[in-house]
Amino acid sequence: MQTKEELLQRLSDCVFEMEDEEVVDVVNAYIECGYDPQEGMLQGLVDGMKRASAMYEEGEYFVPELIVCSDAMYAGIEEFQKYLPETEDNSIGKVVIGVVEGDTHDIGKNLVRIMMETGGFDVHDLGRDVPIDTFVDYVKNNEVDILCMSSLMTTTMPGMSAVIEKLKAEGLRDKVKVMVGGAPVSPAFAEKIGADGYTRSAIEAVEFAKKLVGAA
Amino acid sequence: MGEIKDFHCTYDNSVGMNEEVTKGLGLTFPDAYMHCDSMVKLSKALKEHDGASFCELPFCHTVEAEAMGGIINYGNALTGPRAKEYICTSVEELLELPEIDFSQGRIHEVLLACKELRKQGEHVVLQVSGPFTILNVLIDAKYVFKGLRKKPDIMKEVFWKLGDQILKFMEEAKKYDVDLISYADSSGGVNILGPKMAEQVVEDFTYEFLKKAEALVDDQTMILLCPKTTFALLGMEKAILEDRKLFGPMSYGEGCIEMIGKAKFAGQMCIKNIGYQLENAVFKEVRLK
Repeated sequence: MQTKEELLQRLSDCVFEMEDEEVVDVVNAYIECGYDPQEGMLQGLVDGMKRASAMYEEGEYFVPELIVCSDAMYAGIEEFQKYLPETEDNSIGKVVIGVVEGDTHDIGKNLVRIMMETGGFDVHDLGRDVPIDTFVDYVKNNEVDILCMSSLMTTTMPGMSAVIEKLKAEGLRDKVKVMVGGAPVSPAFAEKIGADGYTRSAIEAVEFAKKLVGAA
Repeated sequence: MGEIKDFHCTYDNSVGMNEEVTKGLGLTFPDAYMHCDSMVKLSKALKEHDGASFCELPFCHTVEAEAMGGIINYGNALTGPRAKEYICTSVEELLELPEIDFSQGRIHEVLLACKELRKQGEHVVLQVSGPFTILNVLIDAKYVFKGLRKKPDIMKEVFWKLGDQILKFMEEAKKYDVDLISYADSSGGVNILGPKMAEQVVEDFTYEFLKKAEALVDDQTMILLCPKTTFALLGMEKAILEDRKLFGPMSYGEGCIEMIGKAKFAGQMCIKNIGYQLENAVFKEVRLK
């Protein structure tokens, strides 16, 4: 029988080395040994994703590597979830994220989602080309700490402002912090539309989000 | 071999479609994006608004993918057509997609609009998308990235399936009198792919593809490369820049028009950067090795 440490390392390696098929077998081997699924997720899968994120920060991994690593992580998480009881929420904060209406460029948004999840946030992804009302309704109907919006086009950037205005109109602006990002977005634009912050990269986004929820 | 540098998109160039452009044209949206007549009106209005020296078509990067089965949200006066939902969930499925029929659908209307604009004395930039941009409409990028890492042979087939369609689109464009064919694939830039994968794409596809496109260039047509593509070619030592003297200082667009029939590829600047001036009257031709 393999030790827990050995299997945790293999789980981590599967994510880091993008082995999205092998990871399921390792999860099952880990479970068959009777080890704790929660620990397998955090100290195995998420650890692998953290290693991948570090490589991204160092310029060794790029977007494709991170996306494929995260695919392996999600495959492992999906397998683990079959064995997890409904447990209390251990996340450090709730995030809802999406690309504003008119825009389908979602690679940056996906990176932020992956980094946020790796950083301990519970993230709900609304996807791309998201209508203004969908953002607002989600905030209205759910407990959310941070709303993240992105846009890669100057023509769709005003959608972020429209969401903030609608949040104000519905008395929801104080309920949630708002972060914005995307290539044409700037700190000045974020300030102008009344967002709580702008970050340049996915890595910065996680650090900023942690500060916003007091977890930094 | 050198290093592929990134070209940073500036985002302060052509405004694209907006209410200022569409106001007073008497068009209804999204219908206006779908028919030759309205495309002509919109394209001319955008040219005037931007103060450009040429008309551009189409107004989005979805026509090729739509013609291969992609599902499109046609948008409205503020935001143009874009991808709605993906139709493939594996890279193998991409190989089964139909070839483009240029005699029907929106892609045909685009070609007709190009011809009409040329008839009206306009220079026309037909924006042709590269494989990554087309794939963005058809399949989630994660399958593409995974394919590039784990199934490079299949991805090469996918690229060439799309590449052949793009070359046919360029050939059709010539039949419809397009004088400037722009080729861009910013979704596959080094900033996204990273250096290793970007090199792989140039080796497996871009260079050879452009050699084939080069054969289509004649005395009435020139190809404009997105600077991201130019930099990828230069970094891989697959091309050089050669200075060509213009009659005088002029905008980049005017410079491209002047070089039709004299140069095969332009690529020093983004054609959407309308205000970019060639102050020293030097046009940099991209010469493939």
